[in-house]
Amino acid sequence: MTLRITENLAIDLATEEWCCVACGHRLAPARANYKTGCLVAEVPLAEAHPPLVQGAAYSFTPDPDFCRLVEFYCPSCATVLENEYLPPGHPLTHDIELDIDALKAKHGGAA
Amino acid sequence: MNAPMTIRYSRDTEVVQRLRPEPPSDREARAMEGLNDLEYEIFTHKLHMIALEGKETTMKLGASTAMRWGDVAFGIYTAQGDLAVCATGIYHHAVLSQLPVKYLVKHLAHDPTVGLKEGDAFFYNDPFYGGVHNADMGLCIPVFSGGELVCFIGAAVHTGECGGSEPGGMVNGAKSRYDEGLMCPPIKIGENFALKEDLLGLLATATRDPRTMVLDIKARLAAARIAERRLHDYLAEIGPDFLVGGLRRILKQTGEAARARIATLNDGIYRQPRFMDTTGPESALLKINLTIEKKGDRIKLILNGSSPMLHDRPVNTYFQGLLGMAMVYVCGWLMPDLPANNGLLEAVDWEFPENSFINPNGDVPVSYAPATMVAFSQGMFMAGAKLAYATDPSRAAGAWYTGFAVTVFGGFNQWGEPMADITPEINATGAGGRPGMDGVDVAGAFFATMSDCGDVETTEAERPFLYTFRNFFDNSYGHGKYRGGSGVGMGIKVHGVPMVALGSMGFGSHFPATLGIFGGRAAPPAFVQTVRGSNLEALMAEGAPLPRTMAELYAGTPEEGQRDYLNLAHAPALFQGGDTFYVPISGGAGYGDVLQRDPEAVARDVAMGRCAASAARDIYAVAINPRTGLADPAETDALRATRRKARLARAKPYDAFVAEWAQQSPPEAVLRYYGPWQDAAA
Repeated sequence: MTLRITENLAIDLATEEWCCVACGHRLAPARANYKTGCLVAEVPLAEAHPPLVQGAAYSFTPDPDFCRLVEFYCPSCATVLENEYLPPGHPLTHDIELDIDALKAKHGGAA
Repeated sequence: MNAPMTIRYSRDTEVVQRLRPEPPSDREARAMEGLNDLEYEIFTHKLHMIALEGKETTMKLGASTAMRWGDVAFGIYTAQGDLAVCATGIYHHAVLSQLPVKYLVKHLAHDPTVGLKEGDAFFYNDPFYGGVHNADMGLCIPVFSGGELVCFIGAAVHTGECGGSEPGGMVNGAKSRYDEGLMCPPIKIGENFALKEDLLGLLATATRDPRTMVLDIKARLAAARIAERRLHDYLAEIGPDFLVGGLRRILKQTGEAARARIATLNDGIYRQPRFMDTTGPESALLKINLTIEKKGDRIKLILNGSSPMLHDRPVNTYFQGLLGMAMVYVCGWLMPDLPANNGLLEAVDWEFPENSFINPNGDVPVSYAPATMVAFSQGMFMAGAKLAYATDPSRAAGAWYTGFAVTVFGGFNQWGEPMADITPEINATGAGGRPGMDGVDVAGAFFATMSDCGDVETTEAERPFLYTFRNFFDNSYGHGKYRGGSGVGMGIKVHGVPMVALGSMGFGSHFPATLGIFGGRAAPPAFVQTVRGSNLEALMAEGAPLPRTMAELYAGTPEEGQRDYLNLAHAPALFQGGDTFYVPISGGAGYGDVLQRDPEAVARDVAMGRCAASAARDIYAVAINPRTGLADPAETDALRATRRKARLARAKPYDAFVAEWAQQSPPEAVLRYYGPWQDAAA
């Protein structure tokens, strides 16, 4: 049984794996951080948020001293599975840590 | 140096812990037994109608911006002080406004110098009990039946001026709570159905806008008295036992329903750090480190690892304020079908670090607490989407704009009256993208969903401003498979007065305030543009073409003068007549991968002006036929295939990325209030 967990992520309860919703690619063990199975990139801020003002203190583009954009891609289909806006170097977040045993029990020990 | 919180008077740290419903009294437990189910349903409906009439009456009679445009929570409390029935879209007050009532039940009701009698009225605005900041003020009255206290009725509303060292209720430069103006624990402001003129005089004198202060107090009281009259009429039918038992049953049912709903969600741990980029007077990083532990029928909010208390900066917030904001998400999005009352907290536990800026001690200032609270609540949206999607995707919504960007002002209006307040556009932000749908354009305020931004003419009629434009700020939202709703942009010219103080409260000029979910993009950072010594009046007289939108403003304007770009958080300063002030109140969070957005939806947005042609090309990789304005499917597919290849070419495996990423850190100046960087929790 495959359970949809987010817009882009599912879990195969039988194999206990995170999967990409778009293409079904197996990302990582369900008990681990799905991000470890992603390809990861920092996206230039001006590319994601183009400035409307040039050379001023503020421009509608995030300030790279405060903020960076990191995207997590499915290695197979390149869908953005999740992203994070973080201060530069801040640890990436293990954002979803499901109780897989409880999930299996909830779905009748589904396999 | 601020003193530690050791003074007994006015600082009751026990009562603020009592956010959940009190244990039922013997009287309540007895009265709950044997309530007829049908009569109970009629009872809950009638009480909601009484509360709703109270809310509407408060709005109709009030004078402040927030009261008139709907930032009102009007409710009926049990005799122990729990808020069982509340008419509001400003849900944090639905769980916070009980604390002052519990304070007066504990400290004043049986005090021989104060006491509690029919015809009394109590006023309060101390944020330690209100949970937010001094500008949020409340009033309640006790209701008696046959000599027995059976409930309280009250209203909590933001009155936009409270006499701090800066106008407008939120003090950017506050060094301690004594800079933040009026700070009133519950006091008896009325007896024998009349307000006490001596105390009204004191409260009016404590602010820059005495007329609004007094009118707002009278509005709360008048609405409460009307509700009291309705309740007495109904009590004559049902008797006090039904009221006492029914109110308690509402709380009990709410708690049971909340736990049952929580039990349907997947057990696990959900993490969402949130970052703020201002302390108020200066730019610096702060962290709110949210972890949600969900197990069985309870969730626990854990905030360990958040930034330390700021001794002399106003972005501190009391822990109860964050719990109030957690309930904004719960009431509005996670469980919108349940009553908005503190029974919801029966399903919630919490753990806050001592002496952090989200659980401070001592006399630290808190008047920018709303900014910190909404930053936290966005974490609830983001972690909540991951918590809720698996069992009910419709509950997984992107956050509405959370950077505030509220203009504060003070001075004299064009009629010579003193005034200080905020402008209402805070109630016109964009909503977040949702499963299957874009966010609503200019939807409102997520924390005040029954409010609106009023009309320009009403504001112009009594404030010394001329709006040069107020309409959609295109591209102000987060892009995504489902984009955020557009925010609003406005330009105002100081008009009809020689000068007025103008400032701004908010965050997100460096680090976006409103982040996407499921790969959606953030709404862009925002800031204020000002032009001093502007020639705008002369240009208007000439009939010169002037910017009519934020997009046109930034595309180029003939307006000349001293142009400055300012942080959303900046202290009020004097502006002369004719000077201009431009503010974006931005859009909602993006939802999902931009390359999954329906190309036709992008083309429609371009045609309507919601999306720039450059964003269609560069963000969404959509080719639009210049002749038809329609998306070109084949060319779009090709563009997107190329873009996906480029993503993978730029990306690295997780471990390799982390090895390089972890070598970076923000500059020291940016981290000076942050707390330990090396121990930053993942």
